[in-house]
Amino acid sequence: MKRIGVFVCHCGNNIAGTVDVKRVAREAREMRGVTFALDYIYMCSEPGQALVREKIKEENLDAVIIAACSPTLHESTFRTAASEAGLNPWQCEIANIREQCSWVHSDREKATAKAIKIVGTIVEKTRLNESLEPIPVSITRKALVIGGGIAGIQASLDIADSGHKVILVEKEPSIGGHMAQLSETFPTLDCSQCILTPKMVAVGKHPNIELMTYSEIEQVSGYVGNFTVRIKRKAPFVDWSACTGCGICMEKCPSKIPSLFDRELATHGAIYVPFPQAVPNKPVIEKDSCIYFNTGKCRLCEKVCEIGAINFEQEDTFVEEEVGAIITATGFETLPVNDLDEYGAGEVPDVIDGLAFERLLSASGPTVGEIKRPSDGMIPREIVFVQCSGSRDPERYKPYCSKICCMYTTKHALLYKHRVQDGQPYIFYIDIRTGGKGYEEFYHNAQEEEGIIYLRGKVAKIFRDGKKTIVWGTDTLTGRNIEIAADLVVLATAVIPMYSTAELVKKLRIQTGPNGFLSEAHPKLRPVESINSGFYIAGAAQGPKDIPETVAQASGAACKVISLFSRNHLEQDPAIAWVDEELCGGCRICISVCPYDAREFDEENGTATVNEALCEGCGSCVAACACGATQQRNLSDSQIKSMVTASLGGE
Amino acid sequence: MTEKVGLAPPVSPPIRLTRGSYGFKQRVIDLSAQSIDACYQCGNCSSGCPLAQEMDILPNRIIRLLQLGQKDDIINSETLWICASCFQCTVRCPRGIDIQAVMDTLRQIALEEGIDHFGPGQIDPEQAAEVPQPGLVGVYRKQST
Amino acid sequence: MTKVAYYPGCAMNDRASHLDRSARDAAVKLGFELDELDKWTCCGAVPPVSEERVMNLIAPSRILKSVRDSGRDTLITICDFCYNTLKRTNFSVKSDIITRKRVNAFLADDEPERDYIETDDSLWKDYTGEVKVYHYMEYLRDVLGYEKITDNLKRPLNGLNIAPYYGCVMLRPLNEIQLDNPENPSIIENFIISLGAEPVKYSYRTECCGSYLSISNPAASTRLCYRILTSARNSGADAIVVSCPLCFYNLDSRQQAIDEAYPDFKALPIFYFSQLLSVALGVEYSRQGFEKHYADVSPVLDKIGGISGKGDAK
Repeated sequence: MKRIGVFVCHCGNNIAGTVDVKRVAREAREMRGVTFALDYIYMCSEPGQALVREKIKEENLDAVIIAACSPTLHESTFRTAASEAGLNPWQCEIANIREQCSWVHSDREKATAKAIKIVGTIVEKTRLNESLEPIPVSITRKALVIGGGIAGIQASLDIADSGHKVILVEKEPSIGGHMAQLSETFPTLDCSQCILTPKMVAVGKHPNIELMTYSEIEQVSGYVGNFTVRIKRKAPFVDWSACTGCGICMEKCPSKIPSLFDRELATHGAIYVPFPQAVPNKPVIEKDSCIYFNTGKCRLCEKVCEIGAINFEQEDTFVEEEVGAIITATGFETLPVNDLDEYGAGEVPDVIDGLAFERLLSASGPTVGEIKRPSDGMIPREIVFVQCSGSRDPERYKPYCSKICCMYTTKHALLYKHRVQDGQPYIFYIDIRTGGKGYEEFYHNAQEEEGIIYLRGKVAKIFRDGKKTIVWGTDTLTGRNIEIAADLVVLATAVIPMYSTAELVKKLRIQTGPNGFLSEAHPKLRPVESINSGFYIAGAAQGPKDIPETVAQASGAACKVISLFSRNHLEQDPAIAWVDEELCGGCRICISVCPYDAREFDEENGTATVNEALCEGCGSCVAACACGATQQRNLSDSQIKSMVTASLGGE
Repeated sequence: MTEKVGLAPPVSPPIRLTRGSYGFKQRVIDLSAQSIDACYQCGNCSSGCPLAQEMDILPNRIIRLLQLGQKDDIINSETLWICASCFQCTVRCPRGIDIQAVMDTLRQIALEEGIDHFGPGQIDPEQAAEVPQPGLVGVYRKQST
Repeated sequence: MTKVAYYPGCAMNDRASHLDRSARDAAVKLGFELDELDKWTCCGAVPPVSEERVMNLIAPSRILKSVRDSGRDTLITICDFCYNTLKRTNFSVKSDIITRKRVNAFLADDEPERDYIETDDSLWKDYTGEVKVYHYMEYLRDVLGYEKITDNLKRPLNGLNIAPYYGCVMLRPLNEIQLDNPENPSIIENFIISLGAEPVKYSYRTECCGSYLSISNPAASTRLCYRILTSARNSGADAIVVSCPLCFYNLDSRQQAIDEAYPDFKALPIFYFSQLLSVALGVEYSRQGFEKHYADVSPVLDKIGGISGKGDAK
């Protein structure tokens, strides 16, 4: 016969104020199976736990019940205490007589009676509890990072430096993301490529990082510690192992396609490397724009390549990898200028977005760092920057603030003024948000030193008038409307998730929020993980943010992965579903009701099985099973039956 | 020949800003040695000004109009003559702008343009006999040519 | 008896003569003598405006240089406007070398005509801000020390609730004056305590009285003074103590206009700090010039030592 001990907690006045705890202890002592009972003022305290350990030994107990607060608070505390005294942790149960009794009732008589019933119910469960062992789940100590921007790069380096292997998958031909497009970064005005390329090179050379660019995720299956990933490696039509990067093919290609890297301000051939510092520095041929693929003629690149690295016969290949954790760092895009109807809808050539202006500023950009406007190459002398283009607009565009625009617009105006000293920059804003370290000082400095005119008002309309671009705005600080005949207008367009993210999350089966950004497990306390085990998130894919925050988040996600890999194995709670094969009829109802895809069918045996690593113990399959073959450990049908009887006051 | 009657001018025409709009601002910057562009319109100067209740344009808006080169609005305001030069704004400005110096400069420019606010004919002789000298000197130096 | 160089300022001669006389009497009681400069001119009263940054520094610089040339490095002044102008001039000359050079160039120009170098026959030396300008109250606080006052009290002002009024130019602008915290000062409060009286805390002690607007826009000044006086009275003040002659004029004589404009107004006597000081140190009431005041001071005098009039020390 099992010897059960019951410990009733006063919880100060929280329980004892409403429930007669001494009486509960006395009644518990009389219950079937209970050989010992006491009450104590604070069970979760050090002396309280010591009491549990002491009495287990003294009274030779096989199981303990702590009648106290909700198990979400202290179940693990008491299970640890019990195991320290040599008891199996699953022989320790909590009877919730606080949240479910003393905190919701005021009648002492009735509350006490209910508390006794609650304890009685748990006693009945405990009588039939089995001792269980946690289920070990193996971990593949290899990480997958999706996205090769600064977030993905940082996370990969951190994990690789800790000794684990990383696969970095990037859909573009080169890693670097948007940071590679920037000219200088705020608030230090560091040259963006200069601080980024060392990290890119480190990734390219790291022995622990396998870099797969021009590749996409095809399919993901499995569970935390044990993912199987199918990756599509797109055919570049160039043999990268042979290519020396001489660049002759790119010079000769007759095709012209707008450069996405240069935000369509310039063109390149169908065979191209996105930018000179690309990692890997190998060209790809864009099939849709290639003359040969379209018409069967040309093949000029093949002719001029001295190594013979061009290979039009290449096909997309697929690889399968086993990984233990996946970090999604797919980054952001900006709202297309075409979407902003009242700002010219993309048809006014001298209305460009922030990233395009970065390319104009960049020394390696289409105008070699000279600020020349797209329509006629003239240097603009009246330049207008419009903040909040598509942000903070729940009615028509995006409701959220894109966070980085106030800083980069000030940076743009300041850099413009450095280069065009007789020019006049204007910035239309609603608020100036400069919360990061050194940001307010950066803004003050720019405002004071550079003669930038800040106009507080949202721009209503932008249109073309001859060679000028007319901007209609207002200044609420003077209460007057403002009209400027600008030479160039730069819109700080809203930050949105990278276009490919929406498709990707369906394959990963992780959550996104209402605006398409990846959802974190808890907005305050768990910002770098998804609620789905084994999936971590980092960078602007989770929400608009600047480079310091991105790097911090990337390292945070990497840390979570390293922490996962540092354990010998994962421990799965054993109080989950199991199948009695004798009883299973093979109807497969359990498989269809499982929300976690944890139920599988063993064809050979003709019975259903439980994937113990995935099962969360929700009980859906147990309820659905017609023949009672599926049961939950320590919550069997017979346990439930006697618990129900006890709770109704019967014997 | 008939006289052409033009349309009445609009009440609040938009301000048309170009590079050339800032000569006046630059002059005030040079004379007062204050960094007008540093003002970010927090409004602290107006909040604490003891004479704000008498003014038609509040001090922060004067600075704002100055930033946008609106000379006429400023010169013709009552504000310049209601300011008592008490320095409260200067002490409180978070960007360290000596607003009192800017006001003095604006007054000086207004006086140069012939806007004479106060003359000896306007003083009450009885008062003139009794008021301590700083009062007389102050009003003459700041408010009349 | 220490002699300290003293710059009275224009107002002291006639319109604020009671401030001047009581200051001198009090000084004697405290063991120093206010030694008026032999030759002095008006200081300009308001600090230089913009373009005239240098021209209007000449007059005050000349005054300061004459003090230095007479072999002294300390100058006391009692009028707030003069204090503000002299101290800021000193600051400009000290901190900006171009201003210093230009000012001295002008001063050198009138060297041959003006013979005010009193004791020093040596070659020309540029004035570089060597003189320290003290406000009379600053001198009491930093050089004499308040204990000197407390030790010499003949008529302690116990039982009197006095509200300090700072005005504008005594404390502001902070960078150049550095006398006390302009938002939360304590120099006059501590002075009041040293006289044995109780300082009254009220919110308008650093708000402007209207200054020269009293002449060009009296209505504005009336409104401002009404606020200050009412706030002091509602906080329990028996009297207000000031140090600036213009503030005294506004708060005192404007009470007539306030009385006409506001039916609920009750008069409040205004004192110069030096009047209260010399009365507390035992100087006769007849020397204080109380007859010049508009607001009746007898309620306060009755409280001090019980005698209003010629009462002398115990």
